[in-house]
Amino acid sequence: MSTVIVGLFDGVETAARAGRALKGLSLPAGSVTTLSAVPLPDGAVVTDPTPIRFPRIVIAGWFVGAAAGLGLTLATYMLYPLVTGGKTIVSVPPTLIITYEVAMLGALLGTLFGSGREMGLLRFPPKVIHDPRIHDGKIALCARVEGDEQARRTIEAMREAGGTEVRAEEGEL
Amino acid sequence: MSAEAPRADDHHLAKTDETAMFERLSRSNLVTTWKWYLGVGVAGAVLLWGLIVFLYMAMVGMGVTGYNKPVFWGLYEASLVFWIGLSHSGTLISAILRLTHATWRAPVLRGAEAMTAFTLMVGGLIPIVHLGRNWRVYYALPYPSSRELWPNMRSPLMWDAMAITTYLIGSLTFLYVGMIPDLALLRDKSAGGRRKFYSALSLGFRGTHAQWRRYHVASTLFAILIIPIAVSVHSIVSWDFAMAKVPGWHSTIFAPYFVVGAIFSGIAGVVIVMAILRKAFRLESVLTPLHFDNLGKLLCTMTLLWGYFYFTEFLTVWYNRNPEEWEVFSSYAGPYLPLFLTMIVCNFVIPFPMLCLKRVRRSISLILVPAISIVIGMYAERLLIVIPSLARRNDPFIWANYFPTWVEFSVMAGAAAMFVLLYMLFAKFFPIMAISDIKERLFHTADRTIGGTTVESIAQVEGEEEAHA
Amino acid sequence: MKHTWAMAIDLDRCTGCGACVVACNAENNIPVIGEAEAGKNRLMHWIRVNRYWEGEYPEAQAVYLPIPCMQCERAPCELVCPVYATYHNEDGLNAMVYNRCIGTRYCANNCPYSVRVFNWYDYKWEKPLDEQLSPDLTVRSRGVMEKCTFCIQRIRRAKETAAEEGREIRDGEVVPACVQTCPPGAMLFGDLADPHSEITRKLKDPRRFRLMEHLGTEPRVVYLKRQKGAGR
Repeated sequence: MSTVIVGLFDGVETAARAGRALKGLSLPAGSVTTLSAVPLPDGAVVTDPTPIRFPRIVIAGWFVGAAAGLGLTLATYMLYPLVTGGKTIVSVPPTLIITYEVAMLGALLGTLFGSGREMGLLRFPPKVIHDPRIHDGKIALCARVEGDEQARRTIEAMREAGGTEVRAEEGEL
Repeated sequence: MSAEAPRADDHHLAKTDETAMFERLSRSNLVTTWKWYLGVGVAGAVLLWGLIVFLYMAMVGMGVTGYNKPVFWGLYEASLVFWIGLSHSGTLISAILRLTHATWRAPVLRGAEAMTAFTLMVGGLIPIVHLGRNWRVYYALPYPSSRELWPNMRSPLMWDAMAITTYLIGSLTFLYVGMIPDLALLRDKSAGGRRKFYSALSLGFRGTHAQWRRYHVASTLFAILIIPIAVSVHSIVSWDFAMAKVPGWHSTIFAPYFVVGAIFSGIAGVVIVMAILRKAFRLESVLTPLHFDNLGKLLCTMTLLWGYFYFTEFLTVWYNRNPEEWEVFSSYAGPYLPLFLTMIVCNFVIPFPMLCLKRVRRSISLILVPAISIVIGMYAERLLIVIPSLARRNDPFIWANYFPTWVEFSVMAGAAAMFVLLYMLFAKFFPIMAISDIKERLFHTADRTIGGTTVESIAQVEGEEEAHA
Repeated sequence: MKHTWAMAIDLDRCTGCGACVVACNAENNIPVIGEAEAGKNRLMHWIRVNRYWEGEYPEAQAVYLPIPCMQCERAPCELVCPVYATYHNEDGLNAMVYNRCIGTRYCANNCPYSVRVFNWYDYKWEKPLDEQLSPDLTVRSRGVMEKCTFCIQRIRRAKETAAEEGREIRDGEVVPACVQTCPPGAMLFGDLADPHSEITRKLKDPRRFRLMEHLGTEPRVVYLKRQKGAGR
């Protein structure tokens, strides 16, 4: 739980003005973000300081899947060394096909779970900062603050930039 | 950024009444008409009938179908290829349009992706329907058991099972992840039980800056991953046939030919689904003739590609006159002439000239003619691939023709009803229009004055997003 | 000891009488399906006698070609089964495990000789016909594939008898039902692994050929037929 100052802005330009003003307050990195119904380009209002890391999980998922697919076919050859059609027990092309399919499945699941984790999905803290009015064309600018002084200055900066309903809320950002 | 701050209503989204737009786009979720209940009732009844007939077939035996000694595969297997083929465009189109940043894509995405998911569910069930002992289908699962059974990874059917599973999971996640922002929107706009439903499904997505950035990278990655999977799935479906020692099936061209045919029928399916959605949920303002024009151009390209592939395959056999293969192809002029003519006329003769005309592509009722004809033609093509090759096997003494009985027709009608039912339920409970994507497009669009005219100009910010990734 | 079971069918002797088909039916619990089903091309025979015509009407001559399972060395049916229901057994026979089969019918599609048959129904043997069922092999349920086994139950019995008496199987000890029945003696069965067996000698016959040899299936059934025409 922390104190978050939320302000609603009518358009991306006013929100950007507030974003610039908040930069001057030297709040810690990552404590200012927007809530919006459309994705805003990075840097338009706020800048995301944390790099996107989950593509690594996708690659890891691919390799885990490939290992699983390869393991599945190799296990078949070892557990069931049945001769079919006069061919060798271990054969490369079917192994490649199965390995490919399971590897792609692994990469897909890696993308699903990796991105979900990094987006903070499936986490439901008791009180979360949200404003449904973002779906009516508003952009909500949220800043996590510590101490009354910082809160006061943040509220002031948002109001000055044209923010409406600027308020302090308790909750997870 | 210029010193003078531009007006806030610069982009198109600022000029839009978002609440009104939401209500217009989610008509399918908000208003339930008697027609919807009627549709669900009819589809449900047909599905139930199909299920009963399927159970009857399973209890009595495959003998109630029209299958016979050389033709061990028929309508079921052709339908399997048909449904998997239909599934090809949704996700594939959606992925390609996303990756190429086609600006008109937003209203098409969701409907097409949903089509993929549901056709695949139907197609994925047919391999179980067609088994002689459906109740033993778990024998094909690789798990250690006291029966000492294990699947044979060398069998193309196992590749098929793997590929369809991967594709089904892939297209379901693609559909679902693409829907999360819209589910969050529905959550914020609804109350009571519906709110709980959408809250659970939207997984706590709020639209923070960090979430949106990762969401974009995730959808790009899904699009990149799903394309090679889609191509592999239909190649493997073709290998179910091409791997066999059956004249007419054993052909190297089958994999690309099937992929092209799949995309061909898939786009036709998307056109039909879009036209129905547009009419049923009054989406005229979003699904404009422009979308049908673009889809029509794609369809025209695919008609030509399909014609090219078919001609190539036919020419080599015709010139070579290898007796085994030639017998199969000659049967196209015999008992299978109606199918052959249906295929040629519906896949090429009707659609190609029609789709060349802008007037046809821009008219929703006219473009339905080539679209429906292609779906019929491609069904005929699938039947023509599966049946004559088996009916004219290497040994002329056992040649026999095949015609399905009421059993196959009922079960496959049930399959079609299952698709309709799933789609109707989906349209009722889930956002059938990609509202967030439509909003995003409006957000990127601004008017630009060139001389005496004003045109829409769309900012491409996605490229920069990917650079960060 | 490893066996290489093989069959020779002398087409110059075959009269097309069909006794092999009847014998096979009786030996292997093969259902008799009746006229209506037969008209739908669903005969369950494990061996069929193809009849072709040579020449035009006044000089037309029937050619008979009995086709059992070829027990291919490189059997295309085995590869495609997703559950290993058909595989190559220790005698090099193309074995079929009914209990494993789930009925994809892919093996039947992939058999160039079309010798595999499918159980379209649960076939019934009305009393007293059930008395004639052989206890040596199962009655197959609906939905599974089946095919000629070279009368594997007879091979097993011969092996057991030989093992009991502590000797090798003698040439001619194993005789499948069709071979046993063939009135003109056109069929011969034996072990190619035994260099002195009758079949080993017979297969040096210059009339020998195998069916659809160009497909590379290496069938274990060899046909003998005098060839007419130039160059022969």
